Amino acid sequence: MIRVRGLSKEFGTRDNGGGVLALSDIDFEVHDNEFVTVIGPSGCGKTTLLRIIAGLIPYDQGQVAIDGRAITGPGPERAVVFQNFALMPWADVLANVTFGLEVRGTPADECRDKAQNLIKLVGLEGFEKRLPKELSGGMQQRVGLARALAVDPQILLMDEPFGALDEQTRRLLQEQLLRLWEGQRKTVVFVTHSMDEAVMLGDRVMLMTPRPGKVKEMIDVPLQRPRSPQVEKSGAFVEIKEYLWENLRAMQTGES
Amino acid sequence: MKQETVAKAAVKSSDARTVDRLPALRRFTRENATEVLALLAGAVLWEILGWSLRLQWLPPFSKVMEALAQFVGSGVIRANLGSSLQGLIVGFSLALILGLLLGSLMGRYRHVEKALDIYVHALFVCPSIVFAPIFFAIFGLSDASRIAIIVVYSMFVIVINTATAIRTVDPSLVEMARSFGCRERQIFTKILLPASLPLVFAGIRLGMGRAVKGMINGEMLIAFVGLGALAQRYGAQFDAAKVFAIAMVVLIIGLASNALVQMLDNRLTRWAG
Repeated sequence: MIRVRGLSKEFGTRDNGGGVLALSDIDFEVHDNEFVTVIGPSGCGKTTLLRIIAGLIPYDQGQVAIDGRAITGPGPERAVVFQNFALMPWADVLANVTFGLEVRGTPADECRDKAQNLIKLVGLEGFEKRLPKELSGGMQQRVGLARALAVDPQILLMDEPFGALDEQTRRLLQEQLLRLWEGQRKTVVFVTHSMDEAVMLGDRVMLMTPRPGKVKEMIDVPLQRPRSPQVEKSGAFVEIKEYLWENLRAMQTGES
Repeated sequence: MKQETVAKAAVKSSDARTVDRLPALRRFTRENATEVLALLAGAVLWEILGWSLRLQWLPPFSKVMEALAQFVGSGVIRANLGSSLQGLIVGFSLALILGLLLGSLMGRYRHVEKALDIYVHALFVCPSIVFAPIFFAIFGLSDASRIAIIVVYSMFVIVINTATAIRTVDPSLVEMARSFGCRERQIFTKILLPASLPLVFAGIRLGMGRAVKGMINGEMLIAFVGLGALAQRYGAQFDAAKVFAIAMVVLIIGLASNALVQMLDNRLTRWAG
């Protein structure tokens, strides 16, 4: 379980005195095997929050703990999927997928076997020897997903993973992620700016407000699993999406 | 009898090779037609100017080639080339190791960069030859002097390129590595080094060219050995054909070393192309 209590984060305090409060007094938790999506207007600190949970940046106040242990840096129970994929351009698909395993000292045979399985799972069989630049954006992010899954993390942290993709590719990857996750439930924190995506994927949607970033509301998504693309037409889906839009619209236009 | 068969066999094999090589040569000529024509035109122009102007400092191209052939035939070039190349290899290797090391540290650690940047740039823009008398004073008339000259000639451009290369590595790759628990050493070997390789190689290529310059300048000014010393000696005798012949050899060293670096570069950074 991820538990966040009274978390605050300020940027730029050291250099120019007048720091920017990115996150203020954040409280929430994510249960084991739960899929939580995080949505908010730009500047609400959702990516900062994810990076703090990933242990990539320090925080100023509050507590961030996983199963009761405070986060002090990256850990083997977490893996991150990045918005810009962050693939090594000099390494082929196989080498990119085995990266995390290799860093952790996994024997080469085991690395290869695990990576092969995941490459198959994300549908990239036959592309093992390709370089990232020879793949489409959607394929690149599938490599990013396979790399994160390869280290068998308990928690998957996804930072707008499909934000850089075109809509068609994005929807295909959403469906693929749904199937993957429903087959092997991990704890997921998924940052997005797409309302469809937030409702389609999440068990709960965390709605954030900007400047400073705060949690406005945690919204349950009472849609059945496994979810099919048809779920978009259900009343509950449309209702939650509209509720999100009302709120986000108000934040953007300053009418809240 | 036996000798004859050997000779025949040699002729045969060399024939076979000529036949094999011809298409390759023809292809090379076709692909590089402009370059080949430009070189030929240069040689012809040089020859004409040489004969018609009759300047003491501009012998015809054929005379230069004649001098070169004599040098090669008498073994003078081979002896001096060896000594020059030895200095070049040792000096450039040192410049490479120091340059990569210093550049990496400067690229990765802001404090190291802030502390050293002014020195590196000062030494980079300063004509390296001003250090010749100092090295002469320290090392005397030894190999160390000319090696030191080669190092100051070629090191700083490698430092600057390596530092820039490391500094401009996509930060999201470093973050990715950290997220998988990479320690600083792993970030260096698994991310920063491979990612910076294309730009590092650009610096190495420039450094290689400067090392050849440093080699000749050092030999002419302080050590009096190798090709530089030869050029110095014939220059003092106003034997322009011989000086040009040595310049040709230096040119070939420069081009060959550049091609060597280029080849390594192509092999190691194919992904960036």
